Amino acid sequence: MPAPTHSQNGYTVIGAVNGPIEVQRRDEIPDEAAIEVNVRPATGIGSPKERHIEHILTALLRNIILTHDYPRTLIQLTLQILSVPATHSTLPSSSSLPILPALINTAYATLLAGSIRLSTTLTAVLVAVPKSELEAVAQKGSSHVFAFDGRGEAVLVHSEGKKFEIEEWEQACEAARGCVLG
Amino acid sequence: MEEFAIYTRFSAPPPCQAPRSSSPATPSPSLLFSSHTTKPLTLGPGLRHIPPSTITAALSGPLHTDPRKNALWIENNGGRYIPVQGDLVICSMHHSSVDAYHCSITPYTAPATLPQLAFEGASKKTRPVLAPGALVYARVSVAGKHMEPELECVHPGTGKAEGLGPLKGGMVWDVSLGMARRLLLPASKMREQGGLVLLELLAEKVRFEIAVGRNGRVWVDGGCEGDAGGGEGGRGDG
Repeated sequence: MPAPTHSQNGYTVIGAVNGPIEVQRRDEIPDEAAIEVNVRPATGIGSPKERHIEHILTALLRNIILTHDYPRTLIQLTLQILSVPATHSTLPSSSSLPILPALINTAYATLLAGSIRLSTTLTAVLVAVPKSELEAVAQKGSSHVFAFDGRGEAVLVHSEGKKFEIEEWEQACEAARGCVLG
Repeated sequence: MEEFAIYTRFSAPPPCQAPRSSSPATPSPSLLFSSHTTKPLTLGPGLRHIPPSTITAALSGPLHTDPRKNALWIENNGGRYIPVQGDLVICSMHHSSVDAYHCSITPYTAPATLPQLAFEGASKKTRPVLAPGALVYARVSVAGKHMEPELECVHPGTGKAEGLGPLKGGMVWDVSLGMARRLLLPASKMREQGGLVLLELLAEKVRFEIAVGRNGRVWVDGGCEGDAGGGEGGRGDG
């Protein structure tokens, strides 16, 4: 089966899932599946930034995957970043949001292709305030990642950047909802 | 009891209790549910019932219906095989313990137990000796998501092997789970439902023995070079 590849905001990610498989005794959960997400950067080995993204993805996917259907097993998801846009190196090193929608959408496509039972659909989008290129936003704006499930409810909200008002955030949320749910 | 009956035996729900779906391509509920039957609605793999009256898809794939059986299911071709009681599987021996063999049905999962006496005519003195790596055609006798699967190579009622047992010689291939299901259809349905004519045509030319495992494995033994002639010796009910 071809591995799902997804491109968004200039980032390309390829995914693979193995599961449900045997779990190590220390990770075993009696009535649900353990979820392991591995994010591999385009170059070099993983850093605490990748660990942070893995943590966000694990918490999100635990609510999407029907983990109670696979007790005492492990679902192992690997996401390899294939390419990053040229502007990636100009972003501050702490910035982890621009890559996040591509990772979330690849993770969803991978689970679907791997026939893992899911409770709902999942779509993520990045919103930049004000509307401009990523590097300009990183200098003086803010960026937000929203993920919505099949019922149109936000299941993940992350923001970073300079100070922003609650009105700006609400506008960003509405823009994301319009973009994802049409 | 009244409520329980509603949950498990709701037949032909009214259109307002439609399956929730966001896809515009989904046919209307009145086409999916037969309203003339008293049979309880059966949900197959890939569908999920959320009480009281929501049915959602858990896997991707085309939706199939059987109005006669009042059944709905999603045909899915991929993923890892999950053992179900009664399925025929081809597994490989992993290791042996005092009274059981431990066989691997799919890679990276906990081995299934195959009791050493669960073979035709096996007793404490005469039982098949299986080396690690040996292939076995077996039936899943116990399966459930909270327990390790158990296998048997003998019908518990009749004591006959019915084609099950160690597979000697031949070769084994991996196929998709959907292909394995099609190959396991009864010979009469294989052509129309499964769309497979390969086995029929091959059987007219050469003699071979085939075993199909629901876990996506096919074993074929063609005998020696020069063996020719009609006929097919099918194993099990494949």
